[in-house]
Amino acid sequence: MNFRLLKPKHMEMTMTNNNYIKRLILSFLAVALIAVPGAALAGAPDAIKTDLVEKGKKVYFKRCVWCHGVEGGGDGPSADRLFTRPRNFIQGTFKIRTTDSGELPMEADLIKTVKNGLPGSAMPAWGEFLSEDEIVAVVNFVKTKVQDRDFNDTEDEEVNVQDFGTNPWGTTGPYHLGVPQADIDAGKEIFMKNKCFECHGGEGRGDGNPTMKDDWGFPIVAADWQQCWNFRGSRRNHYDPFNVVRTISTGLNGTPMPNFKDQIKVEDRWKIAAFVNSLCPRKNIDKLTNKPVPDFLIQSVYTEGNVVAKIDDPSWASPDTDSRIVALSEELAENPLKHYIAMAGQITRGKRNFDPKTDNLWVSSRWSSEENAVYYLVEYHQRFMSQDPEFPDAVAIQWPAQLQELFGAEKPYFIFGDSKKPVDVWKASYMAKDYNATNAPNEKGYQLETSVKETVARGFDAIEDKESEGKVEIVDSIFHQGRVKVMFKRSLTTEGEFDVQIPSEQFIPVAFFQWSGRDKEHDEHMAISTWYYTILKPALPASLYYMPPIIAAIFICFQGWLVWMTKRTRKMYDEGKMRRDELPK
Amino acid sequence: MNKTLVSFLVFVVGLAVFHNAIFPIFTPKEVGWILNRYVYFLSFVFYLIITHFILRLKPPISMMGLFVWCIGFYFYKFVLYPPIPWTLFITYMVMWSIGTFLYISQDPETFREFRKPIVKAIVGEYKLAQIVLMIALPILVGWATYQSIYPSFQEPVELRTVHPAPPATTKVHGKTYPLESTNNPFRIDEQDNYKDSFPFLDADKHEYMKYVTEGGTIFFQNCHYCHGDQLNGLGMFSHVFNPTPANFIDPGTIAMLQEAFLFWRVSKGGPGLPNESTPWSSAMPPWEEHLKTEEIWKVILFEYWYTGWHPRTFGTEGSEG
Repeated sequence: MNFRLLKPKHMEMTMTNNNYIKRLILSFLAVALIAVPGAALAGAPDAIKTDLVEKGKKVYFKRCVWCHGVEGGGDGPSADRLFTRPRNFIQGTFKIRTTDSGELPMEADLIKTVKNGLPGSAMPAWGEFLSEDEIVAVVNFVKTKVQDRDFNDTEDEEVNVQDFGTNPWGTTGPYHLGVPQADIDAGKEIFMKNKCFECHGGEGRGDGNPTMKDDWGFPIVAADWQQCWNFRGSRRNHYDPFNVVRTISTGLNGTPMPNFKDQIKVEDRWKIAAFVNSLCPRKNIDKLTNKPVPDFLIQSVYTEGNVVAKIDDPSWASPDTDSRIVALSEELAENPLKHYIAMAGQITRGKRNFDPKTDNLWVSSRWSSEENAVYYLVEYHQRFMSQDPEFPDAVAIQWPAQLQELFGAEKPYFIFGDSKKPVDVWKASYMAKDYNATNAPNEKGYQLETSVKETVARGFDAIEDKESEGKVEIVDSIFHQGRVKVMFKRSLTTEGEFDVQIPSEQFIPVAFFQWSGRDKEHDEHMAISTWYYTILKPALPASLYYMPPIIAAIFICFQGWLVWMTKRTRKMYDEGKMRRDELPK
Repeated sequence: MNKTLVSFLVFVVGLAVFHNAIFPIFTPKEVGWILNRYVYFLSFVFYLIITHFILRLKPPISMMGLFVWCIGFYFYKFVLYPPIPWTLFITYMVMWSIGTFLYISQDPETFREFRKPIVKAIVGEYKLAQIVLMIALPILVGWATYQSIYPSFQEPVELRTVHPAPPATTKVHGKTYPLESTNNPFRIDEQDNYKDSFPFLDADKHEYMKYVTEGGTIFFQNCHYCHGDQLNGLGMFSHVFNPTPANFIDPGTIAMLQEAFLFWRVSKGGPGLPNESTPWSSAMPPWEEHLKTEEIWKVILFEYWYTGWHPRTFGTEGSEG
C-alpha cells in the first residue's frame, strides 16, 4: 500500500528539483533583463495539496456551492440574483493577487480572500467561521476546479510575486491619516497623466465608462474610490493604501482593470494610492458588516433668518468624513453634518430589487423658524444617470402622514405604511439635461430637470396622489461627477390632512427610497432604508451665555463665605472664645 | 528627600509602570489562575504596601486617603471585567468614597490631620493652593454649567420583544396550521445521520439531502441578503435594518424554537407580528407571498441542517424519549 504513496512523492521531489533549477535560471534572467526596481521573483504556482482536496470538497459542498456552483462555474443557485456575480473558477481567473497580471494567484492570496471575504459583494469573511485547516483545504479544492489552467503545471505556468515596496509614510490603521498633501497632489497628477478617470471618473466615483464587460461578458463597473469599504481587495483594512498599490500593480484579472507595473514606478503607485485613499471619507466602519455605521439621527440645524437654497453655498459645506475622526474646521463647525443612510434593495413585495445600484445616501438638513420651512439635502453616488424619460432617476423621503396620532415609538410599516398608519411620500424625479453616459467627465456637472410628486400611502397597493399637495419644492439639484444632489424644501406646517406636520425639538421618523432609472427601476422596484429619526434642533438658548458666569459668580461668593467662616472660627479659637475639639489622652 | 514626595512618586510611577507594562502580561487571551487581572490588582496593592513598609514612608493621612480613593477608581474603571455601566460605576464609587471617608475619620487625630492642609489652603497659609483653588473651581463650575445647558440630542432608545408569543394557529395559503402540533413534513429522518452527506452530491442518494439542497437553493435566492451566507445575520443588506436580521448560529434563535414557530415567522414576516411586539420595524417580508408552503418548510429544514441545531420539540415526541 505504501508503495503507491511513495511513487508520487518521489515524482514530486524531482519536480521540485526541476523547479528549483528553472527558478534559478529565471531569477538570473529577471535580474539581467528587468532592471526596474520592484522586480518580481519568478516561480511556479503553488501545487495542489492533493491530500487536502477531499476535506476541502466537504467544506465546499457545505458552504460554497450555493454561490460558486457544483462545478465551480460561478453559477450556484444565488448567482443570477447577485451583482457582481460569484467567481467562476473554471478559467483560473482571480482578481485579488500579488502575482503579475494574467497569472495564477498564490495560495496565500486565495487564503486571504477566503479569510477576509470580498467587501461590497456577497462573499463574506470566513476567517472566523471556518478553521485554518478548513480554509487551506477548501482553497486547494477550489484549485482543482480550475480547468483551463493547471496549478501543477510547472512548464507553462509561471508566477511572479511582485514587490510592492513599503508604505513610505508609515501610516497606520484604522484610518491611515497623515499622508503629506504634496504626495496626494502628486498622486492626482499621475492619475490624470495615466487617464484613470476614463473608467473611474473625474472624482473617482467610478462614473467613467458605462459599457464595460468582464471576461465572461457580464456588465461590470469601475470601483468607487469614495466608498473604499466596498473595495473587494481591502482585506477588511479599508483605508490601507496598500490595497490600491496592489491593485494598480497587478491589475484585476478578468476585468478591464489593467496593471500599471511597467508604466508607473512603484513610488508613484504609492502616491496614486495616497490620492485614491484621500478621497474615501473616514467613517466608523462596523467590523462585522464592513460598512459604515448608519447615523440614525438626522439633525436639522437651526438657521437665523432664511436658509440659502443653494447646494454650493458655504452654509451647506460639510465634509463626508466623520467629525469625530477628523475635527471640523472653524468655518464648518456650525454647518449641518452629512448623515450616512444605509440602503438595501426592496425584496418584500412585487418586483423585487436584489441588486440595488446605490447602497447609501447622505443627508444634511437646515430649518428656519422665520421662514417656517425645513430643507433636506439628499446626496448619493450614482455612476450613470438614466437617459430614458420613461424611467427617470428618483429619490423620495417618507414620513408618517399623521405624526400626532402615533403613540410612543409606534411607526407605520417602513415601506409605504399600512392600513392604519398612512405615510406621506415626497418623491423627486429627475433627468439630467444634455447628458450622455459616455460623455467625458464634466467638471461643471449637469443641471437636473426635476418634478415632485406627493403621495399618501397605506400599503404597497394603496398609494394615492394627494388631493391637496403640501407644496414640497426641489429648490436646487445637480448631477456632478457621479453624484446626485437634490435639495427638498417644505413648510413646517400645511393645510393637507395627510401632510406631515413637522414640529421642532421632536424625534420624527423618516425613511428614504431611491430609484436608478438606468436599471429601469420604478414603483416598488427600488432601494429602501429603514426608519431613521430626524430632529429640528432648537436655536442655542440665550441662557447658554449668561448662566455659566452667574453660577460661577455664585460659587465665588460661596468660596468667599467659606474663607470668612474658617478665618472667623480660627480667630475665635485664638481668642479663647471657643474650645478646640480635644484629642483623647 | 521629602518622604511625602517619595511616597507620591512610588504611587504615580508605580501605577504607570504597572498599568502599561505589567497589566498586558496579566491579561493574556487565555486567562489562568495566576495570569488574571485580579491577581494583577492585588499585586499592585501589595507592591504599594511593601514599598511603603521598606522605605518607612508615612505620608500624611490626606494623601493616604487620596491613594485609597484612586485605587478604588482604578479598580472599577480599568480592572473589573466585564466593564460595568456608568450608573453602576457611580454607585460603586459613591460607596467607595464613603469608605474612604470612614478610613480618614477613623479617629479625631487622623481626621484633624486630614483637615489641616484643607484649612490651610482656605485661610491662605498655602498661598499658591488658595489662589489656584479660588480661580480654577469657579471656572470648572461655569464650564460644567455650559456643558449641561448646551442642547445635545441622542437617538431615542427603543425596546422590543425578541421572541413574541406565537398565535395558536396560522393560516398559510388557505390552510390552517395549529402551531403546537405541526411538524416539518420534510424532516423524514434525524439530521445527525447526514453529517457526511452533502447537498447536490448526495441529493440523489438520500431524500433528506434532496430536501436540504432544495431548501438551500431557496435560501440562497431569497434569504441570504439579510441572514447572510453563513446564516449569522450578516448578509449584504443586514447593516441597513434596525433591528438587525436574526443570527441563526446564535443559540438564542432557532436552536430554542420549534419549527412551527419558524414556519409562522417566515410565512407572516414583520407585518404578521402581534401588536405587543410594537414598536417594531422588522424588515422580514411575509414569505408566503413569494414561496410555496413546501418551500418554506424546506428552507427551515436547511437552516437547521446548515447550523447543526436541532429544533425544539414538545409533547409526544419529547415525553416518549
